[in-house]
Amino acid sequence: MINFLQNTLDGLALGASYALLALGFTLIFGVLRRANLAYGPAIMFGCYCATWAYLNTGIDLLVLALIAMVGSMLAGVYVERLCFAPHRKGAAAAAMVASFALWMQFEELATLALPRHLYAFPALYEGGPLSLGGLTLRIESLVMLVAAILVCAALWGILYRSRFGTAVRAVIDNPAAAELSGISVSAVSLRVFALASAIGGLAGFLIVSGNQQVTPMLGMWSTLKGMLAMMLGGLGSLPGAIAGGVALGLLEAHSQWYLGPQLRDFIAYLLLFILLAIRPSWMNTRSAY
Amino acid sequence: MDEYAIGVLTNIGLFSFVALSAWLLLVAGELSFGQQAFFGVGAYAAGICTTMLGWPLPLAALAAMALGAAAAALVGLPTLRLRGLYFAMATLAAAEMLRILFELFHWQIALGDDRIGPDGTQGFRGIRWMFERGIEPLDFLAIVWILLIGVVIIFLRIENSRLGATLRALGHDPELARSAGIDVDRLKLGVVAAGGALAALGGALFAHHNTYIEPRNFDIMLGVHSLAYGLIGGLGTVFGPLLGVALDIGVLEATRSLQGYRMIVFGGLVAVLLVFRPRGLLDERAVHWIKSRL
Amino acid sequence: MLTVRDLVTTYGKIEALKGVSLQVREGSITCVLGPNGAGKTTLMMTIAGVLRPRKGTIAFRGEPIAALAPHAIVARGVALVPENRLVFPRMTVLENLHAGAYQRKDPYENDLEKIFARFPRLKERASQDAGTLSGGEQQMLAVARALMSRPKLLLMDEPSLGLAPLVVEEIFRTIAELHRDGTSILLVEQNAHMALKVAQHFYLIEQGRVTFSGDPGSLAEDELIRRAYLGSARA
Repeated sequence: MINFLQNTLDGLALGASYALLALGFTLIFGVLRRANLAYGPAIMFGCYCATWAYLNTGIDLLVLALIAMVGSMLAGVYVERLCFAPHRKGAAAAAMVASFALWMQFEELATLALPRHLYAFPALYEGGPLSLGGLTLRIESLVMLVAAILVCAALWGILYRSRFGTAVRAVIDNPAAAELSGISVSAVSLRVFALASAIGGLAGFLIVSGNQQVTPMLGMWSTLKGMLAMMLGGLGSLPGAIAGGVALGLLEAHSQWYLGPQLRDFIAYLLLFILLAIRPSWMNTRSAY
Repeated sequence: MDEYAIGVLTNIGLFSFVALSAWLLLVAGELSFGQQAFFGVGAYAAGICTTMLGWPLPLAALAAMALGAAAAALVGLPTLRLRGLYFAMATLAAAEMLRILFELFHWQIALGDDRIGPDGTQGFRGIRWMFERGIEPLDFLAIVWILLIGVVIIFLRIENSRLGATLRALGHDPELARSAGIDVDRLKLGVVAAGGALAALGGALFAHHNTYIEPRNFDIMLGVHSLAYGLIGGLGTVFGPLLGVALDIGVLEATRSLQGYRMIVFGGLVAVLLVFRPRGLLDERAVHWIKSRL
Repeated sequence: MLTVRDLVTTYGKIEALKGVSLQVREGSITCVLGPNGAGKTTLMMTIAGVLRPRKGTIAFRGEPIAALAPHAIVARGVALVPENRLVFPRMTVLENLHAGAYQRKDPYENDLEKIFARFPRLKERASQDAGTLSGGEQQMLAVARALMSRPKLLLMDEPSLGLAPLVVEEIFRTIAELHRDGTSILLVEQNAHMALKVAQHFYLIEQGRVTFSGDPGSLAEDELIRRAYLGSARA
C-alpha cells in the first residue's frame, strides 16, 4: 500500500512537470491549431543558456531561472516568426516541418556551445527530502507542484480577467471572427508563443535543477511529453492539458514500478493510441493540425 | 567509383524508400510520423529470414514487404477516420510502440559457435547474406537503385492514371472526394499499407547493407526526417522525396568542413525555403512549369 | 464614404469579382442585391480585408484599405457582420461584446448599456455561452458585437438568412434605427423586398459584375426581385 501511495506522490510531482509542459504546448496549439515541434528545443535552448551562465559565472539560482525563461521566450519568438507566421493560411505541414528544421538548429547550437553529452546543473535544494509518515517527498517535487498551481492560477487570471486574455480566448474559439472583431490574430499568436515558451522555460528549469543535470535530449523529450499530455487530456483545452499531464505522470510512475521503464513508455503510447482510435466525445476532434 | 561515393549513393537510395513512403501519405493528405517503424519491421523481418531461416534475399524482401504492409494496415485500420494531427500522433504512438517492442524482442539461435538473432537493445548483428555471397558494394548499389527506379516508374504510371488523380483529390479534400463517390476509407487503408510495404523494402535492404541493426535506428528522428524529405523535395512529383534525401545526405557529405554548423545552416535554409515554397522545391507549380518546357 | 473601383477578386483561377465598382454615401443605407453565387459575399469579404483583391482599389474616407488586414480595417471604422454570424460560441454574450470592443481605447460601459437597451434579449442572456443562443439571437449578437467597435460604416452580409419572418422584421427595424443614429450601412441581402424598403441606393450584382445601380423605384420592383433571385440571364 505504501508503495502505491509513494508512486502516486511521485506521479503527481512528475505530472506537475508534464502539466506545465502541456500547458505551454496547448496554448500554442489552441491559438495556432498547429503542433510546434520546436517547443521542447526552445526550452532546451533556454536551459542551455542558463547552464552556460552557471558555468561561466556564479550567479544565483533565481537569476538562472529567469535566464532559462527569457532564453526559451526568445527562442520561441524566433520559431513563431520563421515557422508559423508565414504559414498562417493553410500549409500546416510546412509549418511543422519548418519547426522540425529549427529543432535541428537548436540541438546543434546547444552541442556546439556545450559539447558534452551531460552537464551538471545546480540543485534546486541542497537538503534531503521531506518525510511524511512512511512517504518521502523531495523538495524539488513540492516546488514543482506549487509552481504548477501558481502558473495555472496566473494563466487563469490572464485568460479570464484581462483584455489580452479575452483576445486569446476569442482567437482560440474562432480566429476568423476574432480578426473581424478587430483582434490581430498575428499579434496574439506572437504573444501567446512568448507566454507559452516562458512557461515551458520555467518547467524546463525546474526539471533540470530537480534532476541536477541537463542534456540535449531535453528538447525532444519535452516536446513529446507536452504533446502526449495534451493529447491524453483532450486536444486543445487548457484544463485538459493539466489533467492529461497529471494523468501521464501518474500512469508513468505506476507503470514504471510494476513493469519497468520500457513498458512504462509503451503503456503511455498504447493508451494514447487506443484513445485516438475510439475518439471519446471529450476528445475535441474538431479538424485540427 | 570510389567506395565513399558508392556508400553515399547507396544511403541516398535506401532512405529514399522511407521518404517515398512518407511522401505517398502526404500526397494522399495525411501526415505520418511513423513510417520509420515499417522501415524497422522490414529490416528485422528480412534479417531474420536470411540469417536465421536461411532464405534468399529476394524472398526475404518480399516477406518483409508483406509484413510491412500488414503492420501498417494494423495501424491504419483503427485510425482510418482520424485526420491531421490526430492521425500523426497515432502514427507516432504506434511507431514508438513498435520500437519498444524491438527493444524487448529477443530471439537467438545457435549457428556454429555463435548465437545470432535480434537481441533487444543490443541489436541484431551478423546480417551477412550479401557478404557471404560476395556481392560487392557496387552491385548492391545497383540492386538498390534498380528497385528504386522500378518503384518510381510504378509511381509515375499511377500519377498519370485515374488512381493518381483520385489520390490527389483525396489529399486535397477528403470530404469532397467522399461525396464524389470515392471509397475514402478503402483508399486510405490501401495507401497506408502500400507505404508500409515500401518502407519495409527499404528496411530490408538497409539491414543487409549495414549488417547490423538496432532499435535506435528506427526512432522518431528518422520518422520526422522522412516526412521532411518529402515536403522539402516537393509534393508535386515522385522525384520530390528523392531530391529531399539527396539534398540532405548530399549536403551532409559535401559540407564536412562545416561539420559543426551543418544543421544550423541547413535547418535555416529549409525553414526559409518553406516560407516561399510551402509545398517544397518540386511543388505542383514547378512541375507544371518543367513539363511545359519539355 | 466608401469607394470601390474595378475590384477583381479571384479564388485560384476563378474570378469571383470581375471589376466591381460602387460607392456608399455617408449616412446612407446602400444595398447589394443579386442571385446566389453572384459574388456578394466575396465583395464583403474583400472590403473587410479577409480576401485580398487581385486588382482594383477600395478607399474608405479617402484612405486606401485594400491591402490592410481585417483588424486594421476595423480600427479605421469599418465593421463586418459576416454571413455565418461568426460569434464566439464558447464565450458568454458579454465576453463576445468585450471582444468586439477590443480596439477601443476609451471606456465603453455606456456603449454596453446602449447595446443592451437596444437588444434586451441579449441582456437577458448576458452570461450565457453564445453557442447556446438561437439563430436570431446570434444574429443580434453578431450585430451588437460589430457595433461595439463604434464603426462608421457597418457591413452586413445577409443578416436575414435562415431566420423566421418576425425576427427578420426585428433585424430590419434595427437597421433602420442604426441608420437614424448616423451609422452608414452597406447591406447584402437575398430578401430584396425587405432590403428595398430601407435602402436609399442599391446595386445589382450578377456573375461578378455590377449590372444595375440606382435608387428604389428606378427599376420595377418585380423585375428587380426576379433578377435578384434568378439573375437576368434567365429572363
